[in-house]
Amino acid sequence: MDRGRLLVWLAVIVGIALIVLAVVYWVEPAKSLPSWIPGHEAGSNHHHVKHGIAAFLLGAACLVFAWFRSAGPRPRQLAS
Amino acid sequence: MLGLLQGFSELFPISSLGHSVILPRLLGWDIHQNDSYFITFLVATHLATALVLLGFFWRDWVRIVRGLGRSLREREIAPEDTDAKLGWLLVVGTIPAGILGLLLEHKLRSVFASAQSAAFFLMINGLILFAAEALRRRAPQPEHGDPDARIARRVGWREAAAVGAAQATALVPGISRSGVTMAGGLVVGLSNEDAARFAFLLATPIIGAAAALKLPELFGSQGNGVRGPALVAAVCSAVTAYLSVRFLMRFFETNRLTPFAAYCLAAGLACTLYFAT
Repeated sequence: MDRGRLLVWLAVIVGIALIVLAVVYWVEPAKSLPSWIPGHEAGSNHHHVKHGIAAFLLGAACLVFAWFRSAGPRPRQLAS
Repeated sequence: MLGLLQGFSELFPISSLGHSVILPRLLGWDIHQNDSYFITFLVATHLATALVLLGFFWRDWVRIVRGLGRSLREREIAPEDTDAKLGWLLVVGTIPAGILGLLLEHKLRSVFASAQSAAFFLMINGLILFAAEALRRRAPQPEHGDPDARIARRVGWREAAAVGAAQATALVPGISRSGVTMAGGLVVGLSNEDAARFAFLLATPIIGAAAALKLPELFGSQGNGVRGPALVAAVCSAVTAYLSVRFLMRFFETNRLTPFAAYCLAAGLACTLYFAT
């Protein structure tokens, strides 16, 4: 697999993972987050909404990057 | 008073947050920036400022959003598509600012909440503006043509991300968001006029999103008894924000950041000395 395709797949995987993480932040209170996720607080019912938004934005950015990067060569590029 | 001050200082590169911390202390008002009613005020005035900016640059935003949609459909940012390039530059600049803002806002505001700290950072803001004028890559010269094309040509992706991330420093009271962004624009080679335009375009989604995130506080129980004064503050803020953006766009056609740098340095120094005594 060439480096370009690897980068696209990496961006897709990271993007989806971050969007899933965002949903977890929005749905689960801080006490229910896995201890390795930033924001975990034992006994806290607080929902880390802002962490979720940050994760979602990053995830969306990764997917947009993959969308552009995976496009084939343009007609004018082929012509030149 | 706070609404007028907020609308005026939000867009001038002199730190609205810094002024809203320093002024109450100078005038002996019993206001603290982490008080719930003060935050409600800020939400209302920020929302008003964002709406004014959106209205002022409405036609530009319509073009930019169409450009973003076009580039997503075609899966490329065509070199001649200035609107798409500018749109993605704004996205690239907004994401780091948004993420850093979301994650650091509370910590930074609680650490640097005092008027003394705001006065000190106002001085730093003045030095940043002076340094930006000194470090600019080329001598300012009048330019013709489409300003968006000039911005799209001169600003690269890394530079947009860096300028956007620098906006997060404006969470520290005393450091100006528009000042830091304009300074960044100058350093990457924009003219004062284009740097101001880029800064205002970059400010709109950030200010709007920050206000929108806190709207529940305005309409929730925290806003009880404050909504009336907050509405008056928002209207005052909208008026001064509109006058400010009109003035600044004309001012930067021929002028530099230097007067604002001098003001921040002098006011910051004077307030630092005053608070120390």
